Amino acid sequence: MRKLSNLFMALSVLSFAVPAFAQGGEAAGGGVNWVAITAGFSMAIASAVCGLAQAKATAAAAEGLARNPAARPGIQLALILGLALIESLALYTLVIIFAKVK
Amino acid sequence: MQGNSTTRDTNSHQANPEIFYAGAVRRISRAMILLAVLFTIFALLQFNGRIALGFLGGCAVSYLNFHWLERGVAAFAERVTEAGSRQSSRGIVLRFLVRYVLMAVAAYVIFTVSPASVYGLFAGLFLPVAAIACEVAYEAYAALARGV
Repeated sequence: MRKLSNLFMALSVLSFAVPAFAQGGEAAGGGVNWVAITAGFSMAIASAVCGLAQAKATAAAAEGLARNPAARPGIQLALILGLALIESLALYTLVIIFAKVK
Repeated sequence: MQGNSTTRDTNSHQANPEIFYAGAVRRISRAMILLAVLFTIFALLQFNGRIALGFLGGCAVSYLNFHWLERGVAAFAERVTEAGSRQSSRGIVLRFLVRYVLMAVAAYVIFTVSPASVYGLFAGLFLPVAAIACEVAYEAYAALARGV
């Protein structure tokens, strides 16, 4: 668990480094490419919040299943739909960023 | 005969709504296939072959992603309730993470091969949302019209 946590921390640091490399020709002239920087931060924030939301949903589902195993079908369905919709929120952010940065 | 069958189905749903709601994931999977075919044909007619191909790739990735999500959640639920075979938690987590790797690889391949089809890919990735919306509409109809 500790190793996994370290891995995710390293990946989040790497994702923050991406906008610095994404600066285009305008930045070389002295201007700062704020769109790329903001896009990187937006994606990082969206990913982090979606990850937290998925973790919260999974934790709540695990608690519900442990308390009442008979309610498994309902909880399982709600968890599947919840996780799919939370993932789609990160995808929305990615699409908007792609449209703006491109 | 078909009318009798429909009436029997409706009555069974009314008697046991759990059966109706238990089939939601299966209905969503079917809706994803149907929507993928319909929108691929639409993209082919309205735009071009590259975008349709990108859309089809996105649909395939999102379908696999949803299927693996379902399996991962089922394994997780089995693990928590200790029903059925005990699976290693490492395997469940790895399977969960491999989905993201698959999506990233597919997006990279499509973006490298044909940047024009990326819009189709992104549209295809939203297939589960569209299928869930269809399921929500169907369940609302079933609740209002048939009293499930």
